[in-house]
This record gives sequence, structure tokens and C-alpha cells, in this order.
Amino acid sequence: MKRLPVRKSKGISYAKWGYIFIAPFFITYAIFVLYPQMLTIYNSFFENYRSGLKQVGPNFVGLENYVKLFTPDKNGTIDILKYAGNTVILWVGGAIPQITIALLLAIFFTSYRLKIRGQQFFKTVIYMPNLIMASAFSMLFYTLFSPVGPINALLTDWGMIDATLDFFSQKITVRGMIMLMNFLLWFGNTTILLMAGIMGIDQNMFEAAQIDGANSVQVFFRVTLPLLMPILVYTIITALIGGLQMFDVPQVLTNGGGTPNRTSMTLIMFLNNYLKTSKNYGMAGAISVIIFIITGILSLIVYRSLTKQDN
Amino acid sequence: MKKALALLLALVMVLSLAACGSSEPAATEAPKADAPAAEAPAEAPAEEPAAEEGKVFRIYAWNEEFKGFFEKYYEVPEGITVEWVINPNDGGVYQDKLDEALLNQANAPADEKIDMFLAEADYILKYTDTEFTQDITALGVTDFSNTYEYTVQAASDSNGVVKGVSFQCCPAALIYRRSIAEDVLGTSEPAEVQELLNSWDKFNAVAADAAAKGYYMTASEAATFRVFSNNTSAPLVNEAGELVLDEAITTWQAQAKNFADNGYTLTADIWSDECTAQMFADGKTMCYFGPAWYFNFSMGNAQDPEKGCYGDWAICQGPQAHFWGGTWLLAATGSDNPTMLADVMDTFINDEEVCKALIENEAQFTNNQAVNAAFAEDPNYGNEFLGGQNDVAIFVELAKNIRFENKTIYDQLLTEGLQGYWREYCDGTVTEEEAMANYYKYINEKYPEIVTP
Repeated sequence: MKRLPVRKSKGISYAKWGYIFIAPFFITYAIFVLYPQMLTIYNSFFENYRSGLKQVGPNFVGLENYVKLFTPDKNGTIDILKYAGNTVILWVGGAIPQITIALLLAIFFTSYRLKIRGQQFFKTVIYMPNLIMASAFSMLFYTLFSPVGPINALLTDWGMIDATLDFFSQKITVRGMIMLMNFLLWFGNTTILLMAGIMGIDQNMFEAAQIDGANSVQVFFRVTLPLLMPILVYTIITALIGGLQMFDVPQVLTNGGGTPNRTSMTLIMFLNNYLKTSKNYGMAGAISVIIFIITGILSLIVYRSLTKQDN
Repeated sequence: MKKALALLLALVMVLSLAACGSSEPAATEAPKADAPAAEAPAEAPAEEPAAEEGKVFRIYAWNEEFKGFFEKYYEVPEGITVEWVINPNDGGVYQDKLDEALLNQANAPADEKIDMFLAEADYILKYTDTEFTQDITALGVTDFSNTYEYTVQAASDSNGVVKGVSFQCCPAALIYRRSIAEDVLGTSEPAEVQELLNSWDKFNAVAADAAAKGYYMTASEAATFRVFSNNTSAPLVNEAGELVLDEAITTWQAQAKNFADNGYTLTADIWSDECTAQMFADGKTMCYFGPAWYFNFSMGNAQDPEKGCYGDWAICQGPQAHFWGGTWLLAATGSDNPTMLADVMDTFINDEEVCKALIENEAQFTNNQAVNAAFAEDPNYGNEFLGGQNDVAIFVELAKNIRFENKTIYDQLLTEGLQGYWREYCDGTVTEEEAMANYYKYINEKYPEIVTP
């Protein structure tokens, strides 16, 4: 048997191992997230774009890019606020049914009283849309609802419409389609997350509540929901961040135009407009910084408002 | 069951990873295998004819049109592979991708360098006046005696150095459905139709007649755009970098709104399915505007004899002479295949056999005046699609009017944007002020250097 060398220190410090084990995350975070983020902020103070094949800048212009973003146009609209509004509307319209339906499904699937058969099948089916690429999904919708597409043909055949309906020239239909697509794409994912949350709750709680005579509505509001809150907050905040970065669905559906009248133009589509052709890193940087700030504020609001009752 | 599923998923993942990875090894392996051959021309001076040239001829294009002709009529020298990189024009995607590649050209391995790229009238100026394109006369393409002068002028830089050639000449005509013209105008003969449609006043009046009979004059409110935009007195962007909409453009805007409001036209993008669906047998649209490439390439629906309106078309000059588009082949600086590059260009402008085949088999109007003239005078020649009409004879006349002027490097996207945002006004979704404000915003995003009102 080998003898261990006698150590003079009184105790062994494991603390450094803790730091070493968490270091990889912080290092990758710094390289791949923090550094680019700083670079974006730095870039937003420069005039830096391409004119044809010639590069203009980078020239330091201070806050000029931000001033430009918040200067109202002749009709009095401040573009970035309009697009931020669009983004929030599109997100809320998709997220409310998404969270509601997902919550309902999660409760059905986890309920030991309902004992739904073929659960595995249904879980797969509701998750399926998430596996389709968002762009392919929007192309599908675009084809379906196009003036020469099957929906128009069907409606005409059934005698419901006389003239071709142009779904893409109406604010309400375009936004509706985007909301519907985002809902379909994401409710399966949310269901799975919430199910995991509900299954993490001790079954004794439900049994105890039932023995005390609570009905299922009471069980849901008094037991499930409060205990599910951490997961629900997490789900809503991640959905919010995803929602603010909404891009692929409206971009493909409206061919990048955010039609009609730019009412389905989201913040990221706006940013993308500056990146294509002109490679305008200055303006794009400024927009990114603003999106970052908006996301931060909204996340904080959601977090505060949903966790308040715990305190 | 579960295991099988897991295995399947794992396989899919591995395969997709392999698929992602495969492009890279292939790209890196290829130059390795040909390393001695590929590096030679880069180091050896270009004048040395004995020096071996690259094995890969890389062409950037935005659609399959030229690719089809190239594969049919050009015999690629042995040992050379032709690689096509095709990105759609729409939204400036092609320009973006091409620009990236050109800016990277100096650092790219020999076989990945662009040898030749295609450019359209709307943005050819962006490339000719730069060091990214090279003098083709130095490569050996010197005979422009048969080409149309404007095609050479368009491909030259500001000092008159020729950087490329066009394989087509693009005078545009009014393309109409004979049967509908018969119904609306009482005649389908090109000369008589021309007489009835030779001014905008007549055109607009006939549009009302057509609508009264249940037809559309045009399938898109932007169908006439090129006729107006090609007859402007100044470029869209002036020397001070300001956007100025010419009177011709504003006339188009008024016409588009008028046509849309009165139901003389559908409101749809000219490249949309809605617009092309009108080219089928049961379409109700009388007029389209475009050069030879429009009906031989873009009117695919109508070109299909099975679809029922093949031969029911004809062309005439229309209200105003104009030209539209055209595909130029430009020589990229840094090409490692100068001999083949020159040969391709020479073939498509000077090889009479190829030019003849382009007219006979592809309904093209070539960039070879001698060949065109021969067909124009040939009483036996007729284009079946146009009901046996001699389209070449009409185009020869129209080609005399072409002047390549008032062009900017911004034309493609400025045009796309104007049509798109003006359509919303034609649809009644926005007011005129909103439509123009949206258009100006779009320009500011695409081209920060252009000053908008």
C-alpha cells in the first residue's frame, strides 16, 4: 500500500475545482456571446456600409445611427417602434393560444384520471410541426393561400367567394397566418416542457387535494399552476425572446417585404434589410442594441409580474 | 419499436452530419489532386499560351436560361469541368452572392475563382467599371463587327475597355393573344394591331374596351413599367446621388393606378404565379411586354403546346419602343481559364451556326446582325409560337431604336421596390404618401448613399 504524503494544510480546498468545472461555459460564453455583443455595440457607433462593390467607412459617427432610427418620417411614424409593435402583436397573437393549448394538453396528458390512450402517438403528432423548417412551412402557407392556390379554388368551388381573395394584401389575414404558423410550430414544444414541469410535481399533492374535495378546476388553479410557475415563467420568457427574434416565418411568407404597408415587418426583418445588399453594419448594430434592450426590459417585466405572488 | 426509431434517428443525424461535412472535403480534395496543374497558371504569366489552364470553369448566373444554351451549343474542351453557381435575381440575392465571391476572388483557390459571370442591363454598370472585370480584347475577343453597338457599349467601362459580350439583343415588343385581339380589336394581324395600339392614349382606351368584354389588358399593373422606364430622360439617381422619378415613371404610376382601379389589370408581381397563370389557354389577358427572352423563356406556360394557346400569340412594337434586360457574359479578373473564356464569348457572338441554332431552336434574337438579317429576310422562317410570324424581322427594326442610357448600378432593386410598394397603393391598402414613404425607407435600407425626398 502506498502511503499518502502528509499534508500540512488543515483542510483541502475543493473550491478551485468548482471554478474549473464551470469555466468552459464562461469561456465559450465570453468568446461566442459576450465578445460579439460588445462588437455589435461598438459597430453601432460607426458609419460602415457597402456601396456597390466599394466599402464606405468605418467612420465614427457617435450616436447618429440611433438618432436616425428614432427620427419620425413625414407621416409621423417612427419605424423601429412600428416594427417593435408589429413584433409584439405577432408574438402575443401566437403565444396566447400556444401557452393556453399547451397547458391544457399538458394537463390532459399527465392526468392519471383521464388516462388518454395513444399518448405517445399524439405527443409525436403535436411535436411534428416543430420538425419542419419554418421557411418550408411558410412556403407551404404561401402556396396554399396564394391567389391561384388551392384555398382560393376551394372557396370559389363552394361558392363562398365570387372574386379571388388576396390574403396577402390584408393586414389581418397576413398577421393571422403568421400567428397561426407560429402557434402550430411551437405549441408541441411547449406542451412537452410543461408536461415535464407537471410530472415534476409530487403526485401526493393532487391526491391530497382530491381527498379534501377539490374539483379539477380548483386543483388546477390552487395546486398545479402555483407549483408549475417556475417552469411556466421559463417557458414564457424563452418564448418571448424567441418571439422578439421572429424572422423566418414572416420573411418567407411576405418575401421580405413585411406586406402590406410593412405591418408584418418584424424587428429582425428590419435588421436583415440593412444587412442585405448594403451590408450596413452601423445601422444593423444600432438595431441589434435596441432589440437587446427591449428584450431585457420585457423579460424583466414578465419575470417580475409572474413571480410576484410568490413573495 | 422504440429501438428501431432511435436507430433511425441516430442514422438520420449521422447522415445529416456527413452530408454537411461532405461538401468541404470534396472542395479541399479537388485542388489537391490537381494541385500542380491548378497552381501553374496562377504563377506563370498569362501571355504564355503554353501554360496549362485551370480544370474548373466557374460561372455565376441567376437562372438556367444561358446554362441551357451553353450546354447545348458549346463544346467544353476536354478535361475542363464547368461549375454553375446559380442564385435567383429576386431581391438582389444574385448580386449579393456574386459580390461576396468577387471580393474574395483574389484569395480563392484557382479552381474556385469565378471565370465568367452573367449580368443584366439593370446592374451591369456596377461591374464593368471596376477592376473585378477584365479587358476581353486582351483575351482575344476582338471581332464585334456583327454585334449591336449598344451591347458593346453596355459592357464597356468609362474608358471604352470592353469587359464582356451579350449573347442576345433585347428589343422588346408588345406580345398579344391573337384570339383576344380578334375579339377586342376585330383583328389579330400584327400590322393592324400595331396601328390600333401605337400610342398610350389608344392603349388606355383599348384597355377599357377589353375590360368591357371581360378581358384584362395586362396581367400585372407593372407589365408596362419597362416601356416607360426605358424611355426616361434621366437616370433614377442623379449625379448628386438623389432619387428623381422621371416624368415617364410618374406616367406609369398614374396608369398603373388607373388600370388597377378600373379592373383593366390584375395587381400582381410580373413574375408571380398569378401573372403567369394568365398565359394558360384559359387566361384572359391580352397584352404582355417583353423581348424574345420573355416569350421563349419566361412564358413557359404558353410555350407548352399541350396547354392550348401555343401559336395564339403575335408581336408588334406597341405604344413605345423600348428594350428590356439582356444577359451579358462578363470576364472576371483572376480567371484561370482565359482561353476558354474568350472562346465562349466569341462562340456566342460570332459563330454563325450557334447563332442560327439559337434563333431556330430557341426563338432567340441573337447578337449577330448578319444572322438576324438572314432570318428577317427569309420568307420561309416563321416562329410557330407566334403563329408563324417572323419575329426576327420585327426585332431587327426595333433593335435600331435601342440606346443604352440613363442606367444606374441601382436599377434592379429600385425597380423591384417601386413596383412592389406602388402595388400596395394600386391595391388600395395604403395611401399614395404611405406607398412612397415605404419605398423611400426601402431605398434607405438597401442603398444608404441615395438621398430620397
